[in-house]
Amino acid sequence: MQIFKAFFKVLKKSIPSSLIYIIIFLSISLVFAFSGQEDKTVFEQTELIFCIFDQDDSAESRSLVSYIGKQHELVDLEQDEDILLDALYYERVNCILLIKSGYAKQLAAGNTENLFERYTMHAGYADILTEQLLDQYVASVSAYLAEGCLLPEAVQKAETALSVQADVTYADFEADTEYPTVLFFFFQYLPYILISVLFNTLCPVLLTMNRNDIRFRTDCSGIRPASYLLWNSAGSVLFIIGIWLLFMGVGMILYGGLYVGKAWIAALNSFVFTLVSASWAILFSCFSPGENTINLITQVIGLGMSFFCGIFVEQSLLGSGVLAVARFLPAYWYVRINNMLSGNEPFRSENVLVFLLIETAFAVVAGMLALLIGKFRYRRLSAE
Amino acid sequence: MFFHDLKYFILSQLKTKNLIFWLLLFPIALGCFFRIAFGEIYGNLTQTGPIPVAVVEEKDNPVFRSVLESMKGLEEQFLDPVDLDEATALERLKNNTVEGILYVNDKLRLTVAEDGLEETMLKKFVETYTLRETILTDAALTHPEKMEAAAAALSKDCHSVASVSVTTGNTNNFTQYFYNLIAMTALYGSLLGMQICFNNQANLSALGARKSCSPISKAVSLAADLTGAVLLQFLCMAVCVTFLVFVLKIDLGNRLPLVYLAACLGGMTGVSIGFFVGSIGTAGQRVRTGICNAVVLLFCFFSGLMVGNMKALVARFVPWLNEINPAAVISDSIYCLNLYSDYRRFGEKLAAMLLISLLFCILGIIMTRRKQYADI
Repeated sequence: MQIFKAFFKVLKKSIPSSLIYIIIFLSISLVFAFSGQEDKTVFEQTELIFCIFDQDDSAESRSLVSYIGKQHELVDLEQDEDILLDALYYERVNCILLIKSGYAKQLAAGNTENLFERYTMHAGYADILTEQLLDQYVASVSAYLAEGCLLPEAVQKAETALSVQADVTYADFEADTEYPTVLFFFFQYLPYILISVLFNTLCPVLLTMNRNDIRFRTDCSGIRPASYLLWNSAGSVLFIIGIWLLFMGVGMILYGGLYVGKAWIAALNSFVFTLVSASWAILFSCFSPGENTINLITQVIGLGMSFFCGIFVEQSLLGSGVLAVARFLPAYWYVRINNMLSGNEPFRSENVLVFLLIETAFAVVAGMLALLIGKFRYRRLSAE
Repeated sequence: MFFHDLKYFILSQLKTKNLIFWLLLFPIALGCFFRIAFGEIYGNLTQTGPIPVAVVEEKDNPVFRSVLESMKGLEEQFLDPVDLDEATALERLKNNTVEGILYVNDKLRLTVAEDGLEETMLKKFVETYTLRETILTDAALTHPEKMEAAAAALSKDCHSVASVSVTTGNTNNFTQYFYNLIAMTALYGSLLGMQICFNNQANLSALGARKSCSPISKAVSLAADLTGAVLLQFLCMAVCVTFLVFVLKIDLGNRLPLVYLAACLGGMTGVSIGFFVGSIGTAGQRVRTGICNAVVLLFCFFSGLMVGNMKALVARFVPWLNEINPAAVISDSIYCLNLYSDYRRFGEKLAAMLLISLLFCILGIIMTRRKQYADI
């Protein structure tokens, strides 16, 4: 019991360094949860951000600007090269459009080519959408002109025809109340926090408890080595479970009650990952790292796994080479399960089980290695 | 004495593991992670392909069928239609393997699972199809003789938009994370700057106490340590930029010597900030280091190290902050080199870095001057 008490006394000193991670994570989670995401029932088309410079300044060009403004967002920018470049680079605008001088005259004459100049930077669907929007507008006006209308009338008729909205409905999928978005994000970022907290807290405590002078002193006392290991392990397990329970408690606050269905699978997944992180932290502490090395390894493992395995960036956006390497890391399988629960990939219960077993294997291997190294080091010390 | 002090400052700092970690290893590790995470995102996000859509035919519609057939032959195929029954189509929509379901009847209907650009494009497709019907029906009612001309006008490729490229530089906006990484490394030079104060202030280290009692001129000692810190930081910045460009193959533009210059000047700014923070008050090493790290991370946060679009947000709501935030100034200087053809804004950023460095150095000197052992 003395060992157990000593463990928590040392632990108390290490907790402040991890508290910063816990507080920041919990604050962000709570803010995210209470910012409120309404369930949408009506489709809203994506609004692009346009900055339009009207060199023609005719009734027809102003009408076009107004037409674009009804569907998309218009912003005013100074016609300065630096400002425009910055706005495009940082995506404050999707398209900078120049309505060229003589637009109305060209349109009336039936010329449809090169009426506009478009300044863009990042290719993508937004570019195609802009092109479609303008081509469709010009084609419609041209069609009415071909019918014999005068330009103002053609513009008016084209805009009336273009104002007809398509019949778009949302698919009537039942909202996933078992695993809402807020819980998905909570569990998505949890591995980074678990690694940071467990490495920063558990490693220094185990290092102190296993320091040579302390081990020598304990060996001289009446406490058996097995008992020392047992009480140390009991302290570690209690702390690990305590941290996990703390996060599950916060998860339930975000969820609004006791977990149901899929949320329990997420909780189980996080528990297995907690064991993985803890076993890695214990294994790492066997090498007696210094304070700086603990810091370095925590950052490298925490950030590395988060970037590699799809915690910070969606797995679908990572390259195939990166994902091939990530398979050798536990967080990859953790994220795969989380993706299945959220519906980002098809849910298969047999896959969930396999992935959980793979994660567990990482924990078991690290735990066994830690035991082996610990035993080897203790024997060597005893021999000295 | 100057060179003696300089030599031992550099040697002692090279043996400080903490500094090696934050100034060399951490930026390299973070650079690798950024490369892994953001390496292919830009390509994936800007890549366009046919939008997968399920077609559920509720009623035979040969006109729509011919439209779909005609699209298949196009060089840049817009849609990737697949004929399905309603249940399978809904299942595919739920699994995100199609972006929408087109119900073909007398009129077209679209069902989607979420809002988005692809879904908006599908909506536009339905509207374009309906628009043709509306205009041609109009023509048939009012000027039937001109219906053919109207149809020809609608079918014609307008090519109304000419695209103009705004820069020849690297437009991948995920590269800004690497600009900010360089800025962060530069500002971590503040740890070196603080070390100058720790080494010279009697209550902060044994070395400081010893130096305070020694007959060495304080001005000479500070000048030697400042020079040593700046030289070491230049080395760290050179390693950082070299690693990013030649190992991680990050495109920082074709004016690389100027990138090194900007990074080194940024490093000098970092050292000067640390020198200033280290000179304030009588707090211990841990407190000062904590304050310095917090300030550096705050600067980097507002410059966009953690949230990519942050600098644009700051530019929109508090534009002056980007002009005085050292991290934003450093990352901006490299951004300008990459995207702008002229050197005007780059020059302004370099001048800003020099000014900030000078200001903090002067403030640091003012704070440390005449501070004797007995004053602390």
